[in-house]
Amino acid sequence: MTENQKRILEMLADKKISVDDAHRLLNAIDSTEGSQRGIPRAETTTKTKPKYLRVTIVPDLTHEHSQNVDRVNIRVPMSLIRAGIKLTSLIPIEARDKVNKALQEKGIDFDIHKVKPEDIEDLVEALSDLEVDVASSKGEKVKVFVE
Amino acid sequence: MKLPPTLMHVKIHGEEGNFGIWLPLFLLLPLAFVVFIILLPLILIAIIVLWPSGWGRRSLLTLWIAPQILCSLRGLKVDIKNEKENVFISIV
Repeated sequence: MTENQKRILEMLADKKISVDDAHRLLNAIDSTEGSQRGIPRAETTTKTKPKYLRVTIVPDLTHEHSQNVDRVNIRVPMSLIRAGIKLTSLIPIEARDKVNKALQEKGIDFDIHKVKPEDIEDLVEALSDLEVDVASSKGEKVKVFVE
Repeated sequence: MKLPPTLMHVKIHGEEGNFGIWLPLFLLLPLAFVVFIILLPLILIAIIVLWPSGWGRRSLLTLWIAPQILCSLRGLKVDIKNEKENVFISIV
């Protein structure tokens, strides 16, 4: 057991992090340390396919206004996202031009015309590396991740 | 091929009262399918009529994608709560 793994388990024992967080951190350490040592482990070589996109909003207990925060727990199947992306083909060309223009106004150089069904799988797989963790000033913790 | 969802659980807790229901989708979906088959000739005529404007193709694509979306709903969970209210939707 490495120093980092011990530290995570200590944080879990102290209830500073949840079981889910500990699992994710241990997996992340496994993959980075495994690759550094050049050890081909099953977990590191075969990337598990993400099943769900999770969005959670929980109160930040250290914040004074945390009691007024809504709790949100949303789990969206990845297959629903895949099917939803297919709906982009139903968007009329005129609407796509408007979307492209709006994106460019926001500084995003992206052409929605170029999204093809073949790219969907790559897009969804790329989501597996996504992890957003925001602590807002309103006393809420927002997490977006895949599992 | 993914199977369509079998049950939908909706729970709403609020100040005005509580409401909870288990919807047996496995019973409702065959009914919806029968209605769809009955309406299919009309839908096909509408698609043919709308084809020159481009909406016919989109309607046909919608017919193709809608069952995929329905089958993908399995596993969806939404749980939102504050001090007074709680909305919970789960599809299994």
